[in-house]
Amino acid sequence: MVLLSMILVPVILAPFAWLGEKLNRDFPKFLSLGVGLFLALTTAYLIVKYPGNGFAFEELYRIYPPFDFNLHLAIDGISLVLLAIVAFLSITVTLSSWNVEKPGAFFFLVLMFLGPMVGVFASLNLLWFFIFWEFTLVPMFFHIGIWGAENRIYAAMKFFIYTHLASVFLLLGIIVLYLHTHTFDFLKLLEMGVDSSVAKLVWILMFIGFAVKMPVVPFHTWLPDAHVQAPSPISVFLAGLLLKMGAYGLLRWEIFLFPHTSKFFAPFMAFIAVLTIFYAGFRALAEDHIKRMVAYSSINHMGFVLLGLSAMTAAGISAAIYEMVGHALVISLLFMIAGYIHHKTHTWYISEMGGIMKKIPLLMTMFVIGVLAAVGLPGTAGFVGELSVMLAAFDYYGWVMIIVPLASALGAGFFMWMLQRAVFGPLREGFENLQSLKELPLVENLPLALYIAAFIFVGIVPSVVFNLYNPVVNMFAQLFR
Amino acid sequence: MNVNFLTAVMVLALTGAFLPVINRIFRITGLAGVAISSVGYVAGILLIAISDSGNEILNNFFVTDEVSRLIGVLIILASWMLMSVLYWILNKDKYVNEIIGAVLISTAGALLLISSTNFVSLIISMELMTMPTYLMVLFVFDDRAIEAGIKYFFNGTLAVGMLLFGVSLLYAMTGSFEFSVLAQKLFKDPLVMLAAVFILAGFGFKITAFPFHFWGPDVYDGTCPGVAALLTGISKSAAFIALMRVVFESLPLFGEGGMSHQLTIIFAIIAAITMTVGNLLALAQRRVSRILAYSSVAHAGYTLVAFAALSTPLSVTGILYHSVAYMFMKTAAFLCFAVLLFVWGAKTMDDYKGLGKREPILAALFLVFLLSLAGVPPMAGFISKVFVFTAAVKAGMLWLALIGLLNSAFSVAYYIWIAKQMYLEEPTLEKPVNDRKDRNLVLIPLGLMAAILILFGIWVNPVLNAAGQFVSGL
Repeated sequence: MVLLSMILVPVILAPFAWLGEKLNRDFPKFLSLGVGLFLALTTAYLIVKYPGNGFAFEELYRIYPPFDFNLHLAIDGISLVLLAIVAFLSITVTLSSWNVEKPGAFFFLVLMFLGPMVGVFASLNLLWFFIFWEFTLVPMFFHIGIWGAENRIYAAMKFFIYTHLASVFLLLGIIVLYLHTHTFDFLKLLEMGVDSSVAKLVWILMFIGFAVKMPVVPFHTWLPDAHVQAPSPISVFLAGLLLKMGAYGLLRWEIFLFPHTSKFFAPFMAFIAVLTIFYAGFRALAEDHIKRMVAYSSINHMGFVLLGLSAMTAAGISAAIYEMVGHALVISLLFMIAGYIHHKTHTWYISEMGGIMKKIPLLMTMFVIGVLAAVGLPGTAGFVGELSVMLAAFDYYGWVMIIVPLASALGAGFFMWMLQRAVFGPLREGFENLQSLKELPLVENLPLALYIAAFIFVGIVPSVVFNLYNPVVNMFAQLFR
Repeated sequence: MNVNFLTAVMVLALTGAFLPVINRIFRITGLAGVAISSVGYVAGILLIAISDSGNEILNNFFVTDEVSRLIGVLIILASWMLMSVLYWILNKDKYVNEIIGAVLISTAGALLLISSTNFVSLIISMELMTMPTYLMVLFVFDDRAIEAGIKYFFNGTLAVGMLLFGVSLLYAMTGSFEFSVLAQKLFKDPLVMLAAVFILAGFGFKITAFPFHFWGPDVYDGTCPGVAALLTGISKSAAFIALMRVVFESLPLFGEGGMSHQLTIIFAIIAAITMTVGNLLALAQRRVSRILAYSSVAHAGYTLVAFAALSTPLSVTGILYHSVAYMFMKTAAFLCFAVLLFVWGAKTMDDYKGLGKREPILAALFLVFLLSLAGVPPMAGFISKVFVFTAAVKAGMLWLALIGLLNSAFSVAYYIWIAKQMYLEEPTLEKPVNDRKDRNLVLIPLGLMAAILILFGIWVNPVLNAAGQFVSGL
């Protein structure tokens, strides 16, 4: 019942956020905060009770067994880490949107988003996984379309149509897989061997669906638009959760299910990953729009995740999952602050900024910390993630991967250059008397501090995260031999 | 046919017939009319619920099985909701009871159509379903409605003419009206083949399959949208079920020596063209009613995908599920359009701008129906597409499934476009055309339809059980 309640409680309470706005404008945000705390507490309970290996907290709701249309929920260490991200981000996003316009509709959609999101990470039935996966698009469409920036409608439409089109391939892959195995259940599929030619077809079809969500080059074009136009808290959901769905799906439903086929395609994945890392890095270098730059750096980091997954070893997969955690925390912080910078300076463009450190030192200090973490400063999550991905890739692919650290240097390059132009240096004319250029209120600083505390904590004590899922990864890694 | 089922049909038809008569004595409008007609609907549902026991009658012509029982109940439900909304919209109209009477009689015809197992009963019940709708299309009585009515009448008679010609040809060749004789001689005698083509063409008109789809959008657009909801939702689904009976009960499809592959390719090509044409034309429309009309052409294509997969039993599941889902989502979408047209006078995409702010709940319901049509979970439109395309892949037509899924993905563009107009744009319409105090009443039937759609999107058992029984009875 725990997992089902984590899915249903947000969805059932969602309409009350909408209705409650009429009674009290503050009600929706407190409801959303309450749901966030509920998710955090239940996740904490699950972490404490988790036996350490394998699937736990299994729940099976039979709906139509002959078609295997059963809601099968269970989590292992990997899902647990991602559920923890869901819970953490649900709280920080609620705090960041404390003064949002139309709070009723906003938090209604936030709650409608969180329930299916838990479902994506907790479902062991492929069809239900797809149902949850697809439903997350709808709230996200309205979030971008209603609360977004100037070009929001274009971005929302592009986001919905593009990702829905990709899901079609995923669905086709699911159908083909079902017709050959007559089951959607992860555990049954795991035992069953799938014919290699079928597995290749299914792998490619499903990979298109996951690759668009991650996103990797050349399927990334929806992301910069969606991120730039989305309000900052929603960018956090996009980067922190929606992209993780793609990586998680790739790991759970492709690499674990078809280890040999994945091994066959591993060089292809690694190629795409390196391409993504470099392409996104160079695009970020050339980008003048600060949020778009962060969006490209987000794609760059997801390239690292894919590289770790493509290594097909326990070390590589562990590193990729860790990188997912680091990405969720660090990039979320950067998106939030990029949004605040726009809010304060009324410009998106780095070339029109300068010296804002002098006016808002606290916010900019946090920005610098976030940038350093994204670059991979030791002591932050970014360092552990990138380093372990690179080590795993070296281990598997050998000296070819020497180029990846160069991309890391590229990341340092675009971020530092941006800092130097936008944050440090002399204060730009006109910013002197800009009324809006002042520090944030406490409630908006709090989530930023939480992100920093979290990524420094997991950066210094990475074992907290690693220990949760390492036994699971090691167990699945037996399949790759 | 079960006596109770037949009584249900009678009760519905008689309620419809007496409604105008009662109106002559006690002027009934609005809620009173809903209450009186609801008696007929509730009695119909109850009688169908007990139609698994009791005497059998007319067994050569009609059959009462799990499919006719399930679809029968769902048709009555959809028609009930439609009736309530129509009464609300046409509250002031002089002839409202006549039109509701026609709805009831047409529903009775649909109930007969889904249970007919013989070409004679098929044609009779199809006429019973269609005749009242000729009248209803003319109901608004302006220039456009007259054009639509004439177009509909000529196309309808053309369809039934083709059907009759095919059936009489079949009778001349074989001396029988049974579905099964069609199969025995189909690939031996070219004239029987010709008869089959004419029968298929007759159905093609009813379900607006390419190349017989031209009348559909003009008629749905020209007439009162409440009537279009009946035509495109209930009538079309009933025609699909009837076609399913013709195809599956006449041909030995499954197993060795099945006669499927010759038909498969015909259905597959028609399906691919129908859905592509429907979606492409829908993308080009500016009027919301025409978008919905062309999307109904596209949905005929999806159902035909399931027909194309007729070598596998999953095909029946796909046809049944898509007909059920389609019946509710299309009827409800047209009804939402009807209410918005009545209250706000909203016709084109530009009029729809900002309607989400003006009518929050109604627009949200409309959104549910549109997303269901687009195939977004957890609504029934999603799971029905899963069954349809699973059947296609199972029958070895990965290409058809891919075309269908790509179509479905591109069709999202115009459904989400309506959502965009409703929620993301600023309102253009300032004042409602007809401001009614009892605005919230109309939300009840529409809300029920949304609930049914979500329920059938998750609780798949009734339809799958009915499909299983139908397949095992072949």
